[in-house]
Amino acid sequence: MLPKRYDQLRPFATLGVILLVWLFVPLVVKTFTRATFFAIQAPLAVADSYVQDLQTFWLTKLHTKEEMWQSGRQVAGLIAQYEFSVQQNKELDAEILRLENLLKLPSMPSFRFEPARVARRDFSGWWQRLIIRKGENYGIPVGAPVVFAGGVVGRVIEVHRYTAVVDLLTSPTFRLAATVSGDNKPISYQGGLNPSFRSPRGTVEFVPLDILASRSAAFSRPEWRSVTSPASNPAPTASSKAVRSPSTSGSAR
Amino acid sequence: MRKYDPRWAIVFGANLLLWWLIGLANNYLASSAVHLYAGGLFVVYASLRLDRKHGLIAIVLTGLLIDAVEPVPYGTSLLLLGLVHATLLYGRQRFPREGAVFGIVVALFANLFLVIALSFLLVGANPRPASAWLRIFADLLASQLLLLVITPWFLALQDRAMEMVSIHPETGRRVSL
Repeated sequence: MLPKRYDQLRPFATLGVILLVWLFVPLVVKTFTRATFFAIQAPLAVADSYVQDLQTFWLTKLHTKEEMWQSGRQVAGLIAQYEFSVQQNKELDAEILRLENLLKLPSMPSFRFEPARVARRDFSGWWQRLIIRKGENYGIPVGAPVVFAGGVVGRVIEVHRYTAVVDLLTSPTFRLAATVSGDNKPISYQGGLNPSFRSPRGTVEFVPLDILASRSAAFSRPEWRSVTSPASNPAPTASSKAVRSPSTSGSAR
Repeated sequence: MRKYDPRWAIVFGANLLLWWLIGLANNYLASSAVHLYAGGLFVVYASLRLDRKHGLIAIVLTGLLIDAVEPVPYGTSLLLLGLVHATLLYGRQRFPREGAVFGIVVALFANLFLVIALSFLLVGANPRPASAWLRIFADLLASQLLLLVITPWFLALQDRAMEMVSIHPETGRRVSL
């Protein structure tokens, strides 16, 4: 029996033993437990997204036939526009192929778009992430870029069986090299400026002196440009994202 | 003493429920750029009301649960929650741990410690740490206000769950309703 003063320290000793054991646990076991614990709570995160879908469905059912007919007309107009765009795209693809053959250029990398719904948003000062409702079951690879109608959102950093985790462009952990259209000098982009009650932003560094931002872009210093992220107002529009994954096997760009 | 003792499972289940609700709230608060963190509340019941063994199991499982989702080195939450748990166990005999008010105080201090510790770990990656700290303190303020409101409910929920299975949280003995 230990003296009382030592007995009180038993919780710390137990914690120490647990941490010591934890340090020597093989990586395989840690990876397995992490995947298991993620899988335990993944249905919870996805379930409320499905409940929202159901809610939207019943809300739509409450509309009158007149409202539905008007919406149908609008959708029909949109479909016509999109059909025309698809035709134009096909023509442009054919033109690109013709020029590639003519100039003997290597073919451009092609991507497959995989639309996915957002199950969970987690935007803090520490990280900015999304969980989407597609994963290994749709062949989503790690590193695939994620886009929406307004531009790039981020990239896939974790892929699970039915879900995938997206690191947003505004996350402090997000960093990439980019080029301005029409210029081949590399610039650096990093997310991480996420003030409360305001739109999150990223930072562009090492911008060549011959490239100037327009007046509409916010300036903090002459050599730094802050760029408003497309994920800045995700609530109304970000219910659906598209993951661009390479159509051929291999790592994503 | 019963053959199967579900105390750790009750506390872990309650923590899972709270984790889900906080995640749901954060999902809806995403457009306001406010983030809630309630890690401090996970340790309160396990440390103040449960016995050492079951409290430790609940804390270890909760830590691993959080680590599986958050982009931190695996084991970080296990270490931090374990540290808070050990500290509370060390001093719990000296305090009126049955009361909700003391539970609130513990939850607030534990949450403060966890947020600051996590921030020191993660804020280094930020290109402008000063502005990151401003955001973290705003989030911390919102989280503490939330804890002030939900701690009595969360403690009562776990107490009620223990009552439903007719078990005393600390001794594990069967209690009559």
